[in-house]
Amino acid sequence: MAIDRRTFFKRTAGITAAAAALNFIDMKAWAQTVEDGPVEVKPSMCNMCTSECGMQIHVKNGRAWKVTGHPDHGISRGKLCPRAHAGLHWIYDPGRVKTPLKRVGEWEFEAISWEQATDEIADKLKAILDEHGQEAVFGAQYPRTTGTLYLNRFMHSLGVATTMTHEASCQSARQLGMTHTFGAAYDADWRHAKYLLFVGRNMGEGIKTGSANCFAAAVANGAKIVCLDPRLNQSAAITEWVPIRPGTDLAFLLAVSNILVTENLFDRDFIRNHTNGFVNFRREITQYTPEWAAGITGIPEDKIREIAYDLADNAPHCAVDTGWKAAVGSNFANGTDTARAVAYINALLGNLGQLGGLYAPLGAIVAEPNFPSPAVPTGVRNDGVGTEFPVAPPTGLPHVTMQRAKEGKVKAGFVRHFNPVRSFPDYEHMRAGMRALDLLVVFETHMSETAIEADYILPEPSFAEREEIIKTDGATVCMRTKVVDKVHPETKSFDEIITLLAQKMGVGQYFEFSLDDWNEALLAEQPFSLADLKRMGSTQGLTYDEPVVPGGCGNLLPGDKPAPPTMHPRVFLASNDRNPVPPLGTPSGLFEFFSQRFAQAGFNGIAEWREPETGLSLGANEFRVIHGKQGYHSHVCTANIPMLAQITKDYDTNRIWMNAERASALGVSDNDTVRLRAKNGRTAEVRIMVTERIHPDMLFAPAGYGNRSPYLEVSQALGGFNPHDLCDFRTEPISGHAMMSELIVAVESV
Amino acid sequence: MTELNRRDFLKVSAVTGAATVFAAGCAGAPDVAAESIAEERPRERMALLMDNSLCVNCQACRLACQNENMLPVERKYIRFDYIDKGRFPNTTHHVNRHSCQHCGNAPCIDVCPVDALYKGQEGFTHVDFEACIGCQLCGTVCPFDVPVYNEDPRSGAWKMYKCSACEHLVSQGGTPACASTCMTEAVQYGTWEEMLAKAESRVAQLRDKHPQAEVYGSTQQDGLGLLLVLRTPAADYPHLV
Repeated sequence: MAIDRRTFFKRTAGITAAAAALNFIDMKAWAQTVEDGPVEVKPSMCNMCTSECGMQIHVKNGRAWKVTGHPDHGISRGKLCPRAHAGLHWIYDPGRVKTPLKRVGEWEFEAISWEQATDEIADKLKAILDEHGQEAVFGAQYPRTTGTLYLNRFMHSLGVATTMTHEASCQSARQLGMTHTFGAAYDADWRHAKYLLFVGRNMGEGIKTGSANCFAAAVANGAKIVCLDPRLNQSAAITEWVPIRPGTDLAFLLAVSNILVTENLFDRDFIRNHTNGFVNFRREITQYTPEWAAGITGIPEDKIREIAYDLADNAPHCAVDTGWKAAVGSNFANGTDTARAVAYINALLGNLGQLGGLYAPLGAIVAEPNFPSPAVPTGVRNDGVGTEFPVAPPTGLPHVTMQRAKEGKVKAGFVRHFNPVRSFPDYEHMRAGMRALDLLVVFETHMSETAIEADYILPEPSFAEREEIIKTDGATVCMRTKVVDKVHPETKSFDEIITLLAQKMGVGQYFEFSLDDWNEALLAEQPFSLADLKRMGSTQGLTYDEPVVPGGCGNLLPGDKPAPPTMHPRVFLASNDRNPVPPLGTPSGLFEFFSQRFAQAGFNGIAEWREPETGLSLGANEFRVIHGKQGYHSHVCTANIPMLAQITKDYDTNRIWMNAERASALGVSDNDTVRLRAKNGRTAEVRIMVTERIHPDMLFAPAGYGNRSPYLEVSQALGGFNPHDLCDFRTEPISGHAMMSELIVAVESV
Repeated sequence: MTELNRRDFLKVSAVTGAATVFAAGCAGAPDVAAESIAEERPRERMALLMDNSLCVNCQACRLACQNENMLPVERKYIRFDYIDKGRFPNTTHHVNRHSCQHCGNAPCIDVCPVDALYKGQEGFTHVDFEACIGCQLCGTVCPFDVPVYNEDPRSGAWKMYKCSACEHLVSQGGTPACASTCMTEAVQYGTWEEMLAKAESRVAQLRDKHPQAEVYGSTQQDGLGLLLVLRTPAADYPHLV
């Protein structure tokens, strides 16, 4: 029987989600939770964002009831953000995928057996590999330890080189810019800093729980904190807001470097002993005067000077936070150079490894499991990494792969726990790319925008019903354990599915281990067993002597608790005294003001000013559209969660922000619906929130709304706008990212 | 609390408390009688401190509270008021938690005809949800416009909803869910004296940049069990007097 949206919900446990949308009470389930009964507390990890905070799930009557932060987890630190509490909904959501599904029509599916699904997928994949070779296949995931191990290993065992994550819609430019200056993307030691400058980063709403905890501790300690942002976000609201014209952070940062250099306010010792290319940098930077930057950014020259002097006065116990997405991420054509400009200032301050500066924590020792491994393929990738984009990070470019799919060059894709159709611009481009594939297999718990384009949807148990590969974050060693029984018995965990597929593909020899085997091997050098870890969930492990810098998502935090006696001594953050500068991961081993690698690839060796690709001039009714997070939504996957949707509804927070003076000039009042028209002719109708909290040049679109999958009924009922509907498919030249804020719209009345 | 009668609730929380102790690493079967721990504990006046100058409006407190107290999705004990001051680019934004202030001298208790509202030993105003008849008198006398009249979806009866300061937790020496989860530590829990001292010290620090910063709740209604740190005068906020 074919399953379309209506029958999909009819077939679920008797709950008509359509009728319940925004009137969310699932009485039966709720009554079951409320009912008296014994409570068990089991360790787990949150699944709502990449931080994966350690937490305890309190289980009553066999049903997950509530969560509390795990005190021994370095990120959660016993606290949890709103999404963790609401995330329990994902276990019991009536919209879960319950059996393998096969596409039978536009967004329509039929339930099939695992045997049929894996046989058909293997047959099709073999044919595609035979006919088109490895370059026609990709694997993509939102990075999780289990996905990274199993999906990448599966791809590698088939000789497929293209494995990707979401980073090109997130922080790949930051990662690239920091790697080609400092050798790694260091975080700031927020908690101990005397002065912090945040460039578009919003610690209170783009949440990593422990990072927000450190940030707030700095606020409470009385540290001076400045938030550069075109919008008065919730972090700026509790610190100092310096509004900036969107897309011009690079000009501001270059001017701060100019002041530090020309007024000799830099750390001469660090520059002399630990950097290269400074002489050329000093020559180039003279052109970026504060007067020049004031004209571009709209920030008064005096304010730029004040910030530069405050940084110099507090060095080295201060930092320009290295950001995440925002100005240094995948938003603008100048993202990579903005990240490099952030790095330059930190180098001038000489703050690496210093208390309150940039740092890396010691990492827990992870042993190397010794099971037969496929060679890492050296063939050409289908996303342009290494070819069209010679220095782009290996986290890949899914939006480019979709272009190649539209051109008929990519034929098969495997996507796990990742929704690139909705999370990348533009929706129609991404969707058309997925539809052009001969075989799209999506591993999902929900009917996401990507899942509904799939030929096969393979259902996993939710995060609370399965175990996963161990994760480390700094000294923290943690894992997800099985907290409740499978809600839908036909679901299979990712390791089971991939092992099954690998056997059918004839590469089963690379998967002759269980999850437990692999996890036990990872812990070989730790003083506790896998059974211990399953009981504890999170703990602090033995660490390497050297700091371990996070690669991509996965934040590491300084520990405040004294190290247990079994741990190695910390080399960083030892005291207020100068700490030795750690070895840097660049080709030269030095901080690189000038990147040879960039120059060889044909890019500017030293960061230089460039405008956003869409320019800086706006017509009388034109605005740039910037998106950003609210603390209670994650990416594009939470607007369908009733508890979170209810917050949006209660406070009407999925409206588009418009500056009050611009609104008045255009005759737009609060709550008016207007039409946004992009230069490509696409339009969207949105409701406006008129506010004094935003730069006149921009509209702010709260992220995470505007789901298009008809199966996400709560989100559909909630409504909202996703700017990727209007934004073009683009690639930033250096890192290849998706340039998600290169969108200018005209506002029209409806 | 909400949907359970008080006796049942204490039963549930006894087990919860014991299980939590177990999970924290103390060996032993989860049958430790939490009540006995509670009886040994000296009772003093406790308080929640809401330092609004550290709040980033993430709403974790609201959700932790909803789960802890098993509230239906649309019901919440914790709400927020927001105010903006000034014109761009000199705008400031302020939040304030709007929930039961746990008045030292609570008029709601005095007017409740069925004694559904009562003081616990920690000084908070608790609710016997089963006993509530939904007469709304508490709502009419509340100085802060807190109790909300709404349908209990399980029984169909209309009741008054308000924060009960997690009676099942605080009466066992535990911490209310809102304070446990708060990642910026804007919500804190401790003795009334400690919380007041913290609030005063924070306000002293804030006054450099926010000369009108104040502690709210040290004197109002004989002292509030939910103390507030405000960066702007209380009169700016719609639910404060």
